[in-house]
Amino acid sequence: MLYNIHFSIDVDVAMPVEDKSKSLLPFLSSPKLLPDESEAEFQSGLQSLLSELDNPSPLAVALVTQLNECLWWIKRHTMDKELLLHEAMARLLSKAGSNWVGSGNSALSVALEHYLEGSADKDQADLIEQALIDANLTLSDLRAKAFKDAARHIKVVDDLIHRQHQTIRHLQRSIDSIDYKSRLIKRMDLELAALESKQSAKEVPSLDDKPS
Amino acid sequence: MTINHRRNLTNRCNALKSTGPKSVSGKRASSQNSRKHGLNSAPDFESSSEYRALVDLIAEEGFSAFACADIAAGLLNYRRVMDAYYDTYTSPEPVDEFLRDANVKASNPIFRELLSPSGSEPQDVREMAAFFASMQRQERRKGGPVSRRSADTHKLIRYQRNGIARLSRAVRQG
Repeated sequence: MLYNIHFSIDVDVAMPVEDKSKSLLPFLSSPKLLPDESEAEFQSGLQSLLSELDNPSPLAVALVTQLNECLWWIKRHTMDKELLLHEAMARLLSKAGSNWVGSGNSALSVALEHYLEGSADKDQADLIEQALIDANLTLSDLRAKAFKDAARHIKVVDDLIHRQHQTIRHLQRSIDSIDYKSRLIKRMDLELAALESKQSAKEVPSLDDKPS
Repeated sequence: MTINHRRNLTNRCNALKSTGPKSVSGKRASSQNSRKHGLNSAPDFESSSEYRALVDLIAEEGFSAFACADIAAGLLNYRRVMDAYYDTYTSPEPVDEFLRDANVKASNPIFRELLSPSGSEPQDVREMAAFFASMQRQERRKGGPVSRRSADTHKLIRYQRNGIARLSRAVRQG
């Protein structure tokens, strides 16, 4: 459960730029992880994104780090969607049974969470099965009803996920433009070098042709 | 009805009679009560050392001076938004379990007792109960902790949209 979070972990982003003193990341705040999230997983996602760029510039690394954070947010919000469904399922079960308290019942909610994960003990499984019988519902019926019940909240999370997709699109365009620019500069450098060598090749015979 | 429930209800009824802070410092403190993230305030990136360092480093990538300034400010602004996004997500408005689970109808005798010193009419008690019932409805409508944090974070969408558009424009035009 991601309910009560009191502290965060700052990610120390590994810098793949050859000269680390040229990285922009020390001057920007780092993406933060929740206490139960894996920093190694975050880093491996970042490294796999960076590996798709040939020799990324410091600005490209900074943008890819933001992109990786967006992917991380999509993951969090997707988990939230599932949690919202569970919340609504517990509320519906509690309402249908005799143990209705306000907007839910914490024991029932915990039991349902374990039941859905497949880690419920016998008491918890009995509690949920009895609650389902009381409510005259199957688990899939309950899920469908809960989806309808929590639709308003799920839409909010969908908006958040959509926003992260849009942000990723912006970041991709920016990274492409940097990549294109650096390739253009490299190509112009090569063309310039080729022109210079052609020029010097033309100049050498003209010196030889001079009458002694 | 437990003593705790009664005390909670009494405190809330008394709080309704409050006329707000009197002292200057109290007023100053309460003026910040509704401040959520501070993203509407204009940031002063140009005077920070991070901004200058970013401008110098971006300049090495061949961007013009104007583009460097725009990209550095865009990056700092985007990070400011994402930090607020994280803070909002991790500290949602807490669920008021007392209000959510309170049985308002059963609390009518307490309302009557609390209002009787002022010689109140049954109408006052009904109004008080209706007021609590409407607060309870609002509290329940907000849902559990997950829906609260999603709703709070949803308010920052427009800041993220503007932040990334500014950064992306600066990079592509640079």
